[in-house]
Amino acid sequence: MKLVIALCCIVSVASCSQRKAEPEGSVTQVTDPSEVIDQKLMLALSLAKNFHHTAKVYMSDGNPTAAIASVREILSLHFPANAPEAEDVRNDARGLLARLLVGQGQLEEAMIVVKEGLASASRESFFSANLYTVKGEIHEANAQKLDADPATKARATDERHRAIESFEASNKIDKKLQEQLMESR
Amino acid sequence: MAFKQPPDDLDDLVPEPDAEPSAAELAHAKTFASLVDKTLAGRPPAATSTDDRALLEVATVIRAVSGNADLSSAKQRSLVEEALRQAVGGRMSGVSTAIPITRMRAKRAPWIVAAASMLVAVAALILWLRSPREIVITMRAPATVPETWKSRPADALIGPIGREHAGEASARLDTIFADRLDGYRERRLHGGKP
Repeated sequence: MKLVIALCCIVSVASCSQRKAEPEGSVTQVTDPSEVIDQKLMLALSLAKNFHHTAKVYMSDGNPTAAIASVREILSLHFPANAPEAEDVRNDARGLLARLLVGQGQLEEAMIVVKEGLASASRESFFSANLYTVKGEIHEANAQKLDADPATKARATDERHRAIESFEASNKIDKKLQEQLMESR
Repeated sequence: MAFKQPPDDLDDLVPEPDAEPSAAELAHAKTFASLVDKTLAGRPPAATSTDDRALLEVATVIRAVSGNADLSSAKQRSLVEEALRQAVGGRMSGVSTAIPITRMRAKRAPWIVAAASMLVAVAALILWLRSPREIVITMRAPATVPETWKSRPADALIGPIGREHAGEASARLDTIFADRLDGYRERRLHGGKP
């Protein structure tokens, strides 16, 4: 008897109910995990911070080789896929690393680091602009080095031209991004 | 058989509470007492007046309720035997028309199943007939997540990097970390929902 009553209820509900279209959006909709700040990103940023501080201590301690090694560690950190912060942090570390290498007279190695950063950049940023600035400084350092020998005077001039081009590229990116930021505000 | 109608006390005037019973009342009481005794002994009179029958029924009910009614040993054995047969699913004996519960269910089960199947079929048919014919495509709007909760470029936070500040990557990272930590904590406090 109970079964019959239950089935009668089912029939009644079925006849009364109507299928409704799924409401658009939902207050309980979960955000796409790939776009929010998560623990993995915070961990990577924290590790990068520690490596930077370690490098600073080494530099103040007069140990640029250890400082360079510490900054290189930042480049191998695992950030969440497609996190824009990853590219910014790595390019900033590349800029610092290139400057440290220039300080050690390793101009070719410094240029490799900068070119890697510019080649891997997926977008223009103030950090990529900074890389262009460092690139210009490397060209300047090359020019000063070539100035010492009168036979390489022409190459030194060429390096200076390249330095100017790099600084101009940096300025161009900075100006463009600042205009974009002004428009967005 | 002629029956002498006893005087109806209710027709008379109500006697005083302390008044002595009359001879007629005593005789009537004695007669009724013998009727009750015979009835309870299983030998009810062939005929009684309407008033006496009503009084006898009341007396029988009072005795049954007081728990003093006993069945004869033969009747007790008969009832116990009958109950045991029903318990083991045996055939009924005598004039008893009681049917074991299991057999009753067995008789009703096919009808219940048939009725249930019919109702389910009707419900399915109603649902099928009432289902919308057009396909509704809804676009799920993206959840509105606060900008501070998102992983995003740090350009707006850091701004242009001058040559004199090019080597201050550590300080810039401290700024980025602090900002993202704020967003991360805020998101966690809100349970990940805006």
